[in-house]
Amino acid sequence: MPSANAIRLQIEQALESRFPAALSPMPQTVRETAAVGIAAIDGLLSGGFPVGAISEITGPVTSGRTCLALAFIAARTSEGKVCAWVDVNDALDPESAAANGVCLRRLLWVRCKSEAGPANGKPWSRLDQALRAIDLLLQAGGFAAIVLDMGDTAAEHGRRIPLATWYRFRQAAEQARSCLVVLGSAAYAQSSAEVVLECAPHEARGQTVLHGYVFDVQLKRQRSISTMAAMRKPPASTHSSIWTASNAWATGAKP
Amino acid sequence: MSRELYACIHAREFPLQSLLRLRPELQGSPVAVLDGRPPVELICSMNQPARLRGAALGMTRLEAEGIERLRLLSRSTESERAAREVFLECAANFSPRMEETEAGTCYACILDIAGTERLFGPPAVLAQRMCAALAGAGFQTSVAVSANFHAALLKAGEADGVSVIAERQEAAALANLSLNTLNLPDKEAETLAIWGIRSLGELAALPEVELIARMGQHGKRWRDIASGTFPHLFHPLEPRFSLREFCEFECAIEQSDSLLFVAARMIDSLTARAAGHALCIALLTIAMRLEGGQRHQLTLRPALPTIDRKFLLKLLQIELAAHPPQSAIAALTIEAAAGHASTVQLGLFMPQLPETSRLDVTLARLKALVGEDRVGSPVLEDTHCGDAFRMEAFAIGTPGSVLTERKPRIALRRLRPPHPVHVRCSNQRPVAFHDGHQSYSIAVAYGPWRTSGCWWSAGDWDRDEWDVLIAQEQSAHLLVNDRRQNRWHLEAVYD
Repeated sequence: MPSANAIRLQIEQALESRFPAALSPMPQTVRETAAVGIAAIDGLLSGGFPVGAISEITGPVTSGRTCLALAFIAARTSEGKVCAWVDVNDALDPESAAANGVCLRRLLWVRCKSEAGPANGKPWSRLDQALRAIDLLLQAGGFAAIVLDMGDTAAEHGRRIPLATWYRFRQAAEQARSCLVVLGSAAYAQSSAEVVLECAPHEARGQTVLHGYVFDVQLKRQRSISTMAAMRKPPASTHSSIWTASNAWATGAKP
Repeated sequence: MSRELYACIHAREFPLQSLLRLRPELQGSPVAVLDGRPPVELICSMNQPARLRGAALGMTRLEAEGIERLRLLSRSTESERAAREVFLECAANFSPRMEETEAGTCYACILDIAGTERLFGPPAVLAQRMCAALAGAGFQTSVAVSANFHAALLKAGEADGVSVIAERQEAAALANLSLNTLNLPDKEAETLAIWGIRSLGELAALPEVELIARMGQHGKRWRDIASGTFPHLFHPLEPRFSLREFCEFECAIEQSDSLLFVAARMIDSLTARAAGHALCIALLTIAMRLEGGQRHQLTLRPALPTIDRKFLLKLLQIELAAHPPQSAIAALTIEAAAGHASTVQLGLFMPQLPETSRLDVTLARLKALVGEDRVGSPVLEDTHCGDAFRMEAFAIGTPGSVLTERKPRIALRRLRPPHPVHVRCSNQRPVAFHDGHQSYSIAVAYGPWRTSGCWWSAGDWDRDEWDVLIAQEQSAHLLVNDRRQNRWHLEAVYD
């Protein structure tokens, strides 16, 4: 009686012309990561955001989403790389970006506008403009990180983005080796997202002045986990963490 | 001892050729050029198909319009000037010593090619290459090479293609040419006609002393020219290198595709000329004369000087789509500023950066999508006023300051423009606000932080800032009281 391996080999050989390696699982590759620059988040993500994939940062207002994204961009620009920030609601504060350590000269800021533009005679909403801009930036290549800032976009609008669009972005990001970070109030990319972080406010710090904030962050999704040394059972990984962001002027202040 | 050697490049019907150069589709069809102001417009230049259909020099527009399928174009001195520059540019690739002459509708450029054999080969090969180079630029020319300046000029004007006159064979080569090629004054031409002199050979055969006795020193000069022995003092041109192309349209163009079709040829010519000088194009200025006399101008500035015509054309297409002209285009001028090719030293361990030319196209597309002033890098203004920044063009390689120690700082998300709110205060501190849709009660209000400035100018500000925590949502907002107008705004949200 032939063994299971022999039968599998036979089937694969028979189907080779149509489906190469039909019954063999795809070899898992270790995905390169880019550090965010916040120890708690890097620990949670086992190194940082994956390179060439979509990462989502979700949460309500004052949950530290923007701060997290800016810290990531700051880490990338400090390596001499260029990044892009596609701003659906024109909400980025350059002063906050600079305070977080972003090299503004290496940041391409695309500010979508609300008025119907005269581009090709067709009106485009802010979200449409942002999606088109992401397409163009991914096609151009060379951007180490691209942030799609939909932080103030209503979740029901964000969910209308077709899954095919996210799938296209995922493929393009993989080819361009860009980290596409999506900032929103909910998770939109679904299965195309490699990592989903959910942020929440924990507590404000300060008695007479607002010194800073403590934020909660939860890892909601992580598709590829490094299985390099799977000989031993990995230690139980944490899926949530706490991190602190101080106010820009509160240098050295003890909250 | 270095012997003299001249090559004459001759272009017949130059007004016509300068117009057809950028319209190759008209090359085979009958075309005539009208000169003069309406209603007195006369044919001054035409091609062979037009001549075969019965068109003739001096014919009026009314007569010319009676000829079937004859295309009539208006003479354009601007086009001729641009064409002459291109002509000289092409000729300058073979010799820097040039002299130009013009007679009627013919244009000729005589080059001193002595000593160029090692570079370009024998004179016949050189002449062929000249013909090919000018054909590439859209000119139909004839080339004659001779040791005598005037012999080369006369031969090129009469013969088609390439002719090389061997040394001391000038008289024989010119013998069969008509006397009219000398453009003699009417009186002398009549005298020679009465003597029965019809060709240059017959003129050269006249006895010198008797000719001088009857016609003076002019007679000797013409005889020497006819025999190919008249000397010439060469006055070389000093051509100014300018990259400029001009095209005037027969009918005003409304569609951008048609414009791009013509512009593509012009950009081709400009890039080829720039490449001929080992230069690249650093700036393109596209000036359009519109119907009604208005002008529309576009400027293309690639990040790095380039001679990639497809890339330049793509930039032009995007720029045209973003800034379309208000009416139809009557004439197009493209002027280029030359720059040296960029020398970028790449390295294995350099960070991943966008390719410069692709980035240019991407930026142009983004600008067309969201607006010119909404794409770029933010630069902070040197002021204490909130949300003060300006946008600058995004460029790779510009040095930027990087903080050595990075700590996460709570960030603001700006509301542009600031949202007006109604604030309820108690003990001069805000306790609740209403944004037009919903009321929010304030749990904690930090502040006020008073700032003011620029009181000496129109851009002055004087305001109190409050960091407020909303009780229901655990969110922090930046409320601003404009003290000049006593109005409250929700300016940003902490995130």
